[in-house]
Amino acid sequence: MAETATPEVTPGTIQTTEEKPKSGLEPGYLVVCWNYPVNFMDYVTHVFQVVFGWARKKAEFHMLQVHEQGKSVLTRESMEKAEHYVHQLQKYSLHATMERDE
Amino acid sequence: MKLIRVTKGNLLFQLGKREKNLLIQVLGLYPRIPPSNFRLSKTGQLPDAEANQRLLDESLAEQRAANRKTLQAFLTDARRFTDTESGPRLSMSPSELEWLLQILNDVRVGSWIILGSPEQGMELKLLNEKTAPDFWAMEMSGQFQMRFLEALEKREV
Repeated sequence: MAETATPEVTPGTIQTTEEKPKSGLEPGYLVVCWNYPVNFMDYVTHVFQVVFGWARKKAEFHMLQVHEQGKSVLTRESMEKAEHYVHQLQKYSLHATMERDE
Repeated sequence: MKLIRVTKGNLLFQLGKREKNLLIQVLGLYPRIPPSNFRLSKTGQLPDAEANQRLLDESLAEQRAANRKTLQAFLTDARRFTDTESGPRLSMSPSELEWLLQILNDVRVGSWIILGSPEQGMELKLLNEKTAPDFWAMEMSGQFQMRFLEALEKREV
């Protein structure tokens, strides 16, 4: 799941927002895991822990999202990193894809 | 199958007499997932989508070929299985176990796809003489997978 951070604004700082073109290096790609009902819940939890280094609780949260809602957005990354994660998840035969974050 | 000893770099399993053959049979089915099943994106809205998909396909083909070789070496390694009075023992490292989970899940998911990707609880409606081998592969790979996952959990406790 995507994590967002609020930028810190300190006195005297002028905050500007700039429209940047999306490139392959920007974190603009979602790694999504879709439900394969054949996969064991414990297995999916285990894979999330191994691939992302998550604690069991976080891995279970996403596993349950996949199980109950049919999919879970696991992370938001640059194109290269998202590709890497999709490949890692597919090595474990999970149904994972990457989608552009519109 | 039962985990009987865990050391830092090794896990030792006691197998039933028929389990060794069953495990070898199941692993021999790898790979089962049709390559076309692996898509980089559902929407296809990625830059250079076709080229990236081609790269994924190539990487997958290489990985499967490497896995087949590793599997062959894994099963023919003289230290892998040792016979005891109570049945064969299977020895492997934690990283080999992690890799074996990937192989087993390929067999499980691939068998399920071959069965037509049935919804949960609907599988048995498809059971007949023709589909029985795929059911067998799906269930058997799942059984081994669960035992190995339990072993990993015990190791972490």
